[in-house]
Amino acid sequence: MPDQKPETVRLTIDGTTVAVPKGTLVIEAARRVGVMIPHFCYHPKLKPDANCRMCLVEVEKMPKLQTACSTPVAEGMAVRTATTTVDDAHKSVLEFILANHPLDCPVCDQGGKCDLQDFSHQYTPTTSRFTETKRIFQKEYFSPLIETQMNRCVQCLRCVRYCDEIMDVKALAPVGRGTMTEIKHFGPHELDCEFCGGCIQICPVGAITSRLSMYEYRPWMLKRADTICTFCGDGCRITVQTKDNELIEVNSAHGAGRNNGDLCARGFFGFHASSHAGRLTHPLIRREGALVETTWEEALEFVAAQALRLKLAHGPDAFGGLIAARCTNEDLYVFQKFMRQVIGTNRIDSSARYGHLNGVHALRRVQGTHRWAIAFEDIVAANALLLVGTNITETSPITGLKVKEAVKKRQASLVTIETLCPAVDTLSNISNLATQHFTTHPEQFGNTVLGLLKAVVDGNLVDAALAQQSPAFVQRVTTALNGTSWDVLEAATGQTRARWAETAQLLATAKRLVVLVGNGVLRQPGAEATTTNLLDLLILLGKLDQPGCGLGPLAEENNDQGAVEMGAVAEFIPGPVPLDDQPARDRITAVWHEELPRTPGASLTEMLAAADKGSLKALFVIGENPVGTLPAAAQAKEALAKLEFLVCQELFLTETAAMAHVVLPAGSYMEKDGTFTNSEGHVQAVRQAIAPIGDSRPDWEMLSAISVLMGVPLEYGDAREILKEIRSVIPGYGLLGPTPTPPKVDHSTLTRYLDEGSAVDLAARYAVRQVTKPTDAPFTLVFTQTLFHSGKWSTRSKGLLQLQQDGVLSINPSDAAQLGLTDGATVKLSNTRGAITTTVKLRERVPAGVLWFPEHFDGEAKHLAEWTIDPRTQIPYFKLAHVSLAKVS
Amino acid sequence: MLKDKHQAEIDDILSRYPVKRSALLPLLYLAQREEGYVTEAAMQEIAGILKLTPPQVYETATFYTMLNLKPVGTFHLQVCKSLMCALVGSDTVIGWIGAKLGIKPGETTPDKLFTLSIVECLAACGTGPMMQVNDDYYERLTDEKLDRILADLRQTGTSSLKTGPFMWPEPANTVNREA
Amino acid sequence: MPKYEPILLKNMLQPGYAGSLADYERAGGYQAVRKVLGQLSPAEVTGIVMKSGLRGRGGAGFPTGVKWGFLPKDYQGPRYLCCNADESEPGTFKDRQLIERDPHQLLEGMLIACYAIGAASSYIYIRGEFVLGAKILEAAIKEARAAGYVGKHIFGSNISIDIWVHRGAGAYICGEETALLESLEGKRGLPRVKPPFPATHGLYNKPTVVNNVETLANLPHIVNRGAEWFASIGSPPKSTGTRVFCVSGHVKQPGNYEVPMGITFRELIYEHAGGMRGDKPLKAFIPGGASAPFLTPEHLDVKLDFESVALAGSMLGSGGVTVMEEGTDMVWAALRLMEFFYHESCGKCSPCREGSSWLVQIMRRIVNKRGRMEDLETLTDLCKNIAGRTVCAFGDAEVSPILSTLKHWRQEYVDLIQAAETANLIRPEPVGTKH
Ligand SMILES: Cc1cc2nc3c(=O)[nH]c(=O)nc-3n(C[C@H](O)[C@H](O)[C@H](O)COP(=O)(O)O)c2cc1C
Ligand code: SF4
Ligand code: FES
Repeated sequence: MPDQKPETVRLTIDGTTVAVPKGTLVIEAARRVGVMIPHFCYHPKLKPDANCRMCLVEVEKMPKLQTACSTPVAEGMAVRTATTTVDDAHKSVLEFILANHPLDCPVCDQGGKCDLQDFSHQYTPTTSRFTETKRIFQKEYFSPLIETQMNRCVQCLRCVRYCDEIMDVKALAPVGRGTMTEIKHFGPHELDCEFCGGCIQICPVGAITSRLSMYEYRPWMLKRADTICTFCGDGCRITVQTKDNELIEVNSAHGAGRNNGDLCARGFFGFHASSHAGRLTHPLIRREGALVETTWEEALEFVAAQALRLKLAHGPDAFGGLIAARCTNEDLYVFQKFMRQVIGTNRIDSSARYGHLNGVHALRRVQGTHRWAIAFEDIVAANALLLVGTNITETSPITGLKVKEAVKKRQASLVTIETLCPAVDTLSNISNLATQHFTTHPEQFGNTVLGLLKAVVDGNLVDAALAQQSPAFVQRVTTALNGTSWDVLEAATGQTRARWAETAQLLATAKRLVVLVGNGVLRQPGAEATTTNLLDLLILLGKLDQPGCGLGPLAEENNDQGAVEMGAVAEFIPGPVPLDDQPARDRITAVWHEELPRTPGASLTEMLAAADKGSLKALFVIGENPVGTLPAAAQAKEALAKLEFLVCQELFLTETAAMAHVVLPAGSYMEKDGTFTNSEGHVQAVRQAIAPIGDSRPDWEMLSAISVLMGVPLEYGDAREILKEIRSVIPGYGLLGPTPTPPKVDHSTLTRYLDEGSAVDLAARYAVRQVTKPTDAPFTLVFTQTLFHSGKWSTRSKGLLQLQQDGVLSINPSDAAQLGLTDGATVKLSNTRGAITTTVKLRERVPAGVLWFPEHFDGEAKHLAEWTIDPRTQIPYFKLAHVSLAKVS
Repeated sequence: MLKDKHQAEIDDILSRYPVKRSALLPLLYLAQREEGYVTEAAMQEIAGILKLTPPQVYETATFYTMLNLKPVGTFHLQVCKSLMCALVGSDTVIGWIGAKLGIKPGETTPDKLFTLSIVECLAACGTGPMMQVNDDYYERLTDEKLDRILADLRQTGTSSLKTGPFMWPEPANTVNREA
Repeated sequence: MPKYEPILLKNMLQPGYAGSLADYERAGGYQAVRKVLGQLSPAEVTGIVMKSGLRGRGGAGFPTGVKWGFLPKDYQGPRYLCCNADESEPGTFKDRQLIERDPHQLLEGMLIACYAIGAASSYIYIRGEFVLGAKILEAAIKEARAAGYVGKHIFGSNISIDIWVHRGAGAYICGEETALLESLEGKRGLPRVKPPFPATHGLYNKPTVVNNVETLANLPHIVNRGAEWFASIGSPPKSTGTRVFCVSGHVKQPGNYEVPMGITFRELIYEHAGGMRGDKPLKAFIPGGASAPFLTPEHLDVKLDFESVALAGSMLGSGGVTVMEEGTDMVWAALRLMEFFYHESCGKCSPCREGSSWLVQIMRRIVNKRGRMEDLETLTDLCKNIAGRTVCAFGDAEVSPILSTLKHWRQEYVDLIQAAETANLIRPEPVGTKH
């Protein structure tokens, strides 16, 4: 967080003295003393444009009225906002703004929350002097989700400026000149952009509105609930607006949450997933081979009875549990407690396994923290940012906005080691803002990072203090890197030593250096090593423990971090601490009044293997769908088919749930209370927005009910009681609430790492990774997240489906040209594991030789993926395939 | 594609500016020269060259009156109607052209030869009434001068009555007056 | 010989002078820049210009040397000079002549200015319609470049100065200096909020000077003949030098006349411009382009200098003097200018954008004999509410035709409105727009 204290300036607003930081705008200074200066074009997020002229105020010694929104405070300034001159100015400017306005408030969705309405109410008489002909714009179709009513536009350009300054998308164009200026996209084309909803949110009037809720409400009829979005690890605060238990709209107030009111398409338009018609509304039980509806009573009793029976027959380790990191901390906590205490096994895992654990392991090992030692504020305040395999705009859009803010507003240098290359597109592209960009083949992240490390050592950029304190570490690294020649690295990655050298220099000179690691690294083989090496990079530059510096792995799911902290993974109990950490065990035992099991945990893949072998008899699956998400090579379906008992708590009848003996309808995040922990480790409150759909219930409640029936009751009155218990089990957890300070690098861990810990695998970590591409499969296919979908359930959102309803294969135009492919052409992808057909889209941002496919629509395609399991961490990788590509005519 | 035909000129234009976007107006002119107006495809291509989004090109193109986003006739007659020209008869000129060509302001003759536009001051206030036809100025217009200009344009594509390097009063005139 | 010694128009008044590099050098051109490069420091050049009293010829009349002095002294990065050749103020057509007839005079002025402010790149932002002017400038730059006067190491010195022509594309507002910069950056020509001023945050956010063509064309002469010489011309101390006044409208000899500042309008109109067309009485004149309030015959003896015209309630502006004879309909004249301003408002500021469309509609109604008496109050009110409340000076400019004609010829408005009433033309009741 920024360290220097800003200078203070004193001024008076209507006679009241106020002291504010230098550079504050008069309009903000006035707000401090409770004076609201009317405005349209001003928005604290945007650079002042002073175009509406509504905020005119008197400033002593200035002959003309000044716009408060663009005038910075000065020492001794005297501002008057309530004189007749000012009042007249406000009235007259408003009269101008209203002149051409259609005054169609009764049919305007903004009615009741409209700045123009509010100010009119305050300033204008009830009749207008304007009796001329009003300007009329032809109605044009704007986009599937966003509606424009340009007659209502006050031309403040907030939408256009937001789209450019904050989002870097630049999809909106003020077209024409003078009164006839209107906001359009391009020519007669409908809007094609990131659909962040920012223009809707920032429009002070009803000129840009959401079609999802058009004409469905009046703002004062809506009930609001502040909660957290579940579509990625950013953890955005959203306000869900409902009418009669119906989801009407989602928005986010400026200043609210870690997202500061900004959202992405998923957050803004994705909320209907919760009310999708396919939601499970009743418990299902398998009778004569088919799942049929049943009562809660019967379902729960059946589950408890089966569990008791199997536990008696085969022991607790015949059970396994699998939970989605989309669940609340409370669900996750009760789940692991249920498995450990009621069943008595450590064989549990969650979707944090897929990638997030790689980051957690590296952080724990090097700096002794299980989460970021930096926060979003540090990203914004960074002097240099290094992004490695993030595709941040699509995977963590709001963290991406922090990066954009750092670069665009604060002139931070940006280094991107990313697969997507710089190219202007309808979606923003973080590499476009990069000072240095490395277009990196999906399998070359590790080697590209090695190049950077080598440049640091070669360029004598190693921190002097480090060289003195830990000569052995520096020596080990140097020796390892000397073993690799530049030629080899250049050949492997296609990068040049000159660029590495320049970049290393750039990173070394940055006072505040933040490294972000994304799925491109975390969900591919070698992830933990690359992440550890990036921590080494920070160490070598002397920055790891410096203020504002650090590394952050970007979580894929909204509560990946929570799943780890709650101990809902094979290797950790709540904390997270290793299973054998005695003090932690004692602490938990004191709360649970029972010993934790001592048997080893089992990861997802180990559980699948055990099921296949027959040693795992029963599996509790909460919100996870291994059958639907894993490639055929994982043999999930075959393994699960061998189970004696499969229970699923689910929102929808997924492929996995369809195999279950009992399916219990679970409540979505819209229907429950609790907390989520975002990427940076902020624990945030999730609040119920609508009553449960059908008979669904929060996951923890079901587990709690089963536990009672099994005779080991885990009883809680509500989610808050669970959180209380979590806090007693995880020391300091309470302090990590919504405004925590990030944990600091633990120096004893770091010293241990430098002294000897790093040596264990250093040679292997620093070896150039040889990638052999099968010659008959020249393309590298990557399954990725996209901006419009995340996980599997966004595809149940009607809004998001309008933006993207199936998977198309993105391909580099030069590759396409060679194969004679144009947009929409059908191609066949194949390798030894299978073949599929799909359509292509040419995109300059995808580098040659790489194919980009949205994982949310991977259907049969996913079976092409390579399936590898890290023998040590048991992390499975299945997001990449080598394929050949042929045109289908 | 502009690039196929004019790569050298595009490179030359780009070389003048430290920031690419500055080349936007010159490139839009190039596109207009090519097709008579700025086509959507051209805007898209220019966006690509300058690393802008198409809306960024579009918003700029629509701000300036000289960039036509729709086709115009071979000869674009643009008559100034601002006060200074109006004082010396620009409305009459508009009337004449209308009568001679049978078109109203904003219209194009059926043979696509002439488009008549009314424009604001073109900095020829001392030599009004005047009009601009494509790149050329025609000043101190009279009924018969106009006839000749239109006939010339039809026949040769240009007219000797267009203004050369501007000076008014003309030097000869000055000498006369002083004599 | 003309009555006053011409300075800027001197070369082009020579028979046979075609404005080529050879012509210009034969007439003594490019000596000033040689002198500057060889003998003077940038600060000394700025000092000379300051002392000469030269004020901007683009409209605002800001002292040129003072403007240059605002550039940050210690700033290391690039700086720019932009020559404002947008000349779009109705009534003004002098820059066009200076460019097309003597381009090297302007180029030499630009080299001097670039040297003084430390700019290595400069742009001539020329209005798009001046296709010929742009071609002539391009050709002149090519000549100068070939001669080693523009480009790397000019005149064999260690100074490099480039000059590029950049064409506008039809927008009056791009004559406003910050709109010009936006346009030059490839954007819509919307004026920027000032401060910061171009001197610190100009083109590409770098220190920048914007000067009018005529302003720059004066520089070689000031350098050659000295600040004192220049300061002695015109009406010192505040309005020094000559100006090229553009006379248009109902005069016998409209055209560009270079005279020292401080002569009277009577002299300019009746002696230089040959008097009134058909010898009708003069009814009104605009002293400094469309943005300047109208004046009346009473003001004929006002001196053509910045202060005197301001005292008379108008402004010298861009030097475009438009003369109207008895019989001219002043409401119609104001409407014509209002239509211009409506057409050219960039649309950034609500008062200017909405106000111009509102004003134009009322004015049209009045001229079409559908006015109402209360319109006059509304007009005055709206004008008052626009002026001084906008980002750029356009807002002040657009209201001057209406306000000044209302002031001097209110009866003509009243007559038109009464004609409407007596003719019993359609007189719609105000549509009560309740909200
Ligand atoms: C609406 C508006 C239009 C302007 N148009 C022009 C113009 O066409 N040419 C010009 O030189 N200055 C014009 N100016 C003045 C410029 O903003 C600026 O003051 C001038 O270029 C500075 O040069 P100077 O100091 O040499 O006069 C205009 C100003 C405004 C407010
Ligand atoms: S005053 Fe008019 S022309 Fe000037 S910036 Fe505002 S809207 Fe544009
Ligand atoms: S809020 Fe200040 S001008 Fe719009």
